[in-house]
Amino acid sequence: MSQGGEILLQATGVAKTFGGLKAVDDVTFTLRAGIITTLVGPNGAGKTTLFNLMTGHLVPDRGEVNWLGRSLLGLPHWQIARLGIGRTFQDLKLFNNMTVEENVTTVTERNSWLWQSGGAGAKGERRARAESALAATGLGGKRNARAIDLAYADRKFLSLARILASGARLWLLDEPASGLDRGSYERFLSLLRDQVRLGVTICIIEHNLDIVQGISDRIAFLDQGRLLAEGDPKTILSDPALAAIYFGERAS
Amino acid sequence: MWAYVINLAVLISINAILAVTLNFILGYAGIFSIAHALFFGVGAYTATFVAMKFGAGFLTATAAGMALAALISLALALPALRVRGEYFVAASLGLQMLAITIFTEWKSVTGGIGGLTNIPAAKFFGFELSQPGHYLILSLICLGLVLLIMRALVRSSFGRSLKAIRDDETAAWAYGKNVAVIKTTAVVVSSALAAVAGSLYAFYLSFINVESFVLETSIQLMAMVIIGGTATLVGPLIGTVLILLLPAALSYLPYLPVTEIGSIQQIAYGLAMVLLMIYRPGGLWGFQETPKSREGGSP
Repeated sequence: MSQGGEILLQATGVAKTFGGLKAVDDVTFTLRAGIITTLVGPNGAGKTTLFNLMTGHLVPDRGEVNWLGRSLLGLPHWQIARLGIGRTFQDLKLFNNMTVEENVTTVTERNSWLWQSGGAGAKGERRARAESALAATGLGGKRNARAIDLAYADRKFLSLARILASGARLWLLDEPASGLDRGSYERFLSLLRDQVRLGVTICIIEHNLDIVQGISDRIAFLDQGRLLAEGDPKTILSDPALAAIYFGERAS
Repeated sequence: MWAYVINLAVLISINAILAVTLNFILGYAGIFSIAHALFFGVGAYTATFVAMKFGAGFLTATAAGMALAALISLALALPALRVRGEYFVAASLGLQMLAITIFTEWKSVTGGIGGLTNIPAAKFFGFELSQPGHYLILSLICLGLVLLIMRALVRSSFGRSLKAIRDDETAAWAYGKNVAVIKTTAVVVSSALAAVAGSLYAFYLSFINVESFVLETSIQLMAMVIIGGTATLVGPLIGTVLILLLPAALSYLPYLPVTEIGSIQQIAYGLAMVLLMIYRPGGLWGFQETPKSREGGSP
C-alpha cells in the first residue's frame, strides 16, 4: 500500500465546538497526494465536521488548515472549492430539477458573470470534461433525465460524476458507498481506483469495515472529536482497543 | 371594440414583460421578491421624468429607467442576498413599502397621490407614437426582446448556475459558485428589464400614479408566474393572459352585478391558486411532478 506523495492538505490542531459539544477536538491530520485515506469512527465522531472544516463550510475555533502550504482560513468556501477541493454529501445534494447533463456541466462553469471566459477553446475543454465524467460513471445514456428521477445508485454515481467534472484534485467523499449493491459497489471501487491512478487524491468517510479494508491506503480513526489513531489499514483494523470503541464496547 | 382589444393587448404585453422578468429570479433562482412592482414604478417614473424634463425619446428614457432600477436593485440585493430565502422576502417587502411611501410623498418628481399627467407621446427615432396600435407594436417588440434575452440567459452557463443555486445552495457553494454574486446579477438584470415595462406603461397611458406600483401589483405578478408555471418561458405568458383576461371574461357573464366583479375575481384567483397547487404544483405550463415521474427512474 502506498503511503502517498506530497502533503496536499494539512489540518493542525483544529477544533470546533457546537454549543458546548466538542465536535472536533484538537485534530491534526494530513492528506497525502495519490492515495485513498479513510475516516472511520462511530456516529458523532466528528468526521463530517472535519470535512466541513477542510472545505470552509465551517470555520475552526482553533487551529490551522493548509492546502499545499497555503492557509485556507478566512477564504470563502467557493474559493476553496476553486483551489481543487471537492466534496460529496451524505444526502448527495444533487441539483434535483436539472438534468444529469446540466448537473455535470454546471460544475465546470466557474465564472459568476453572465458568460464564461476563455471562448470556444475553454468551452470545448469544459464540454470534454463533462462528457468524460458522464462516460466514467455510465450516465451518458441518462443525460436528459432529471436528477430527482434517477434510481438510487445512479444518484450516487451522479454525485461522483459531478465531483469528477469539477476537476477537483482532492475528493472528500461522505459515505459514498452506503446503500450500493454488489455490482454498483464494484463499479464504484474501480472508478475510484482509476481516478487515483490519474492523480486524484481521495478521503472517504465510511462505516462499513469491509469497504474500509478493501479501499483504504491509510486510515484515520476518530472518536468523540479526537483523532485516536492514524496509520495503514492492517495496524488500525487489528487494534483491539479501536475495535472495542467502534463496536460500542467503550473501555472505561 | 378594436380599441378595447388593443388596449388589453398592450397591457398584457407590458405585464408579460414583468411576469417573465420576475420568473427569471423567482422560477430560475428561487428568489422570492415581492418588490417587483417597485422596479416597474422606477422605470415608469424615471422615463416620465426624463421625457418631461429633457424631452427624451423612448430609448433614452427607457435606458435611464433601466439604469436607475439596476442601481436600486443592486442596493437591495447586496445586503439582502447574503441571507437565505425567507429573509429576502421580508427585505423585499420592506423595500416595496418604502417605495410606495417615496412614490406618494416625493411630489416634485412623482406628483404624489395624484400622479403625473400629460406625459408626452413616446418618440422613437423622430417618429411620434400617437396611436394605440403603435404602442401595441412597440410593446410586442419589447416583450419579444425581453423573451429572447431571458431565453439566452436561462440556457447559458448563467442560467445553469441559477438553477443549481435554486436546487441546492450548499452544493452550489461547494462547487465553486459565488452564490451571492450570481444572485445579485440575476436580480439586477431582472429589475432593469422590469423597468422597460414601466417606461412603456407611462408613455402608453400618458398618466401614472402610485396605485399601479403597489404591493398588490407585486403579488399579482407573482400569481401570474406561479399559475402559469415557474422556470418556463411560456408559463408566465399564459399566467399573464389568464389573470388579465379573467376580469374581462367575468364582466361578460350575465347576472353578475358589475360592482361585485372585483371580489368575485379575488375569490376566483384564490380558488385557482389552491387548486393549482394541489393538482399542478409546477403551474399550468410547468412540468408535473407526478408520483409516476418520481418512480420513472427506478429499476
